Amino acid sequence: MAIEISNRLGLANVKSDYIHTAGRKLEDIHERLLELEAKGEVKVIHVKDENKPIEAETLLGWKKKIPTNKLWHHKSCGQCGNIPGYPVSLLWFMNQMGLEYVDERNQTSCTAWNYHGSGTSNPVGLAAVAVRNWHRAYELGLFPLFHCATTFGDYKEMRNLLVENKELRDEVRRIMQKIGRDLVIPEYIVHYSEWVHVMRFEIAKLKKYDLSSVIATVHPACHTYKMIPEDCIYDKDIYAGKRTAVSTGVMLALGAQVADYSTWYDCCGFGFRHILTEREASRSFVMDRKIRPMVREAHSDVCITQDTGCTTTLDKNQWIGKAMGYTEQVPVMADVMFAALACGADVFKIVQLQWHTTDWRPLCDKIGIDWKKSEEEYNAYLEELKAGGKTVNLYEYPKS
Amino acid sequence: MEYDENGVSIVPAELKKEIFEEARKDFRYEEYVRGCLNCGVCTGGCPPHRFFDFSPRIVLQKMKSKDPELIWTMMDEYVWACFQCFTCAMICPFLNSPGGVIAILREIAVRRGFESAKKVLKPYSRVLLKLTAYGNQLSPDMIQPDFFPDWGPHIGYASTDLAVKRKAIPMPTLQVTNLAWDVAPETMKELYDIFDEAGVFKIIEAVDPSLYEIIQDIVDDVRSS
Ligand code: SF4
Ligand code: SF4
Ligand code: SF4
Repeated sequence: MAIEISNRLGLANVKSDYIHTAGRKLEDIHERLLELEAKGEVKVIHVKDENKPIEAETLLGWKKKIPTNKLWHHKSCGQCGNIPGYPVSLLWFMNQMGLEYVDERNQTSCTAWNYHGSGTSNPVGLAAVAVRNWHRAYELGLFPLFHCATTFGDYKEMRNLLVENKELRDEVRRIMQKIGRDLVIPEYIVHYSEWVHVMRFEIAKLKKYDLSSVIATVHPACHTYKMIPEDCIYDKDIYAGKRTAVSTGVMLALGAQVADYSTWYDCCGFGFRHILTEREASRSFVMDRKIRPMVREAHSDVCITQDTGCTTTLDKNQWIGKAMGYTEQVPVMADVMFAALACGADVFKIVQLQWHTTDWRPLCDKIGIDWKKSEEEYNAYLEELKAGGKTVNLYEYPKS
Repeated sequence: MEYDENGVSIVPAELKKEIFEEARKDFRYEEYVRGCLNCGVCTGGCPPHRFFDFSPRIVLQKMKSKDPELIWTMMDEYVWACFQCFTCAMICPFLNSPGGVIAILREIAVRRGFESAKKVLKPYSRVLLKLTAYGNQLSPDMIQPDFFPDWGPHIGYASTDLAVKRKAIPMPTLQVTNLAWDVAPETMKELYDIFDEAGVFKIIEAVDPSLYEIIQDIVDDVRSS
């Protein structure tokens, strides 16, 4: 098979007939889940026609149905607390496309950041929290969409552990009964970046700017593709199927250039505990292993992320890097935020870049986005709100 | 607690054996510890290996040795170096999960309230409090310049007029400052029941008794509301 390289900047556009499988030959947990359902052991949240699924292929060539409609938003603490433009951009796209969803107060954190940072939980606690949230989507007749990569990784792991261990199922079922719920498991664990990926051509139809001069570098998040890697989307037309396809796919569909860099596989340095309590390690990792190679090797205009922790770590740690002689800087944002910018979403009210630390204005200037006008309008809006004005929301809640 | 010259706490041999047995009995153990080639691929890809005296190859080799003495040497600071990124699990040719082993060992360290775990987790208590008491791990009002001076002057943006900036976010669930999103009290109560039943509150009591008391006060308030 001839390999066709059409992007001088790197490998993103390389096509292949094969998908790299990392020597894995694993059992398809999806099949086993359906067997358990047939035995009446668990209830399954199925992807139905009304969810308008689009099929994608995972690392091992398994099919994964990505629901695109009637979704229940499982938010991320770090995004909502610190990068609000992340979930807002996603919901904004769903509104543009006339899709149905629910975002509500009846959701807890997945608690997995805490677990991986401090060890202060256990598989029963993690699985019970997961099932509680899954059950909430189930009772509303919706399919859950997970915003955080750590939630995605943790919930894939909990799904697998629940399918493989009767004792864990029994214990979680007992706890669910105590809180008036039931043991349900989604047919697929779906990350928002997978929704963005399968919707990338629909997203590209909304594009407002020419992005051909923008060079992006993608930071694939550990907890999307390293935890339970066999359940992650790969595409033979993106990196020849040798790396996960999400995020890169939407950037290519939007017509931006995606550049390769030598440390693409490295973690961001978040470390769960380290970002809070051993920040020298996090920040050295950010500058040495990610930002510097992205800028020096790839001349990156923007670093594209697909997770909460990475976006925070890569964005917030560049300022202090300057004190150590790291002059390289690159704005950081999630795939869906960049896509929203490209499709004309307001820089301040929707993409909310004002919360970001590393300067994103040169990127907007390069694309031709009038961020100054947006800033003036936003400041006027804040004054209105201070004077008792009402927020213009993406949806109304609670529904009457 | 006394420590040897490598900073490892000195404890009776019996306790070391107990710890190893406890790890080995974990239902994930067989899945995480398979054959080990001692190839070092995992260590080559391990981020903290670049900064700390820490190696996932060593973690697997020590587990495979089945020697409680060797395994004990990882129970203090060693296990806390891991980033939990699971690069090791992704690239190990034997499909081991050194990061998974670390998770099991950390659970034991906190469950038993080891001094080293208490020390490592002390600065982490704000996150633990938010999470356990309110069902959220991070809140907008935690991003304060005095806590994150190394994140630069722009961090102050979040601490001025925070309430109105949050109100301007067009998702009603996000228009609060003390939580990432506004978790309903009924939802928190379900979470408390899960934490009770799964023994999560007990773990926090073991590792940080004063934090546990603060959490219980909040839990009691919400439960009686
Ligand atoms: S890259 Fe960093 S934040 Fe992202 S998943 Fe890995 S450790 Fe977590
Ligand atoms: S755990 Fe795996 S990657 Fe690491 S040394 Fe052993 S066989 Fe090699
Ligand atoms: S999970 Fe831990 S041991 Fe494994 S590569 Fe990441 S930091 Fe290293």
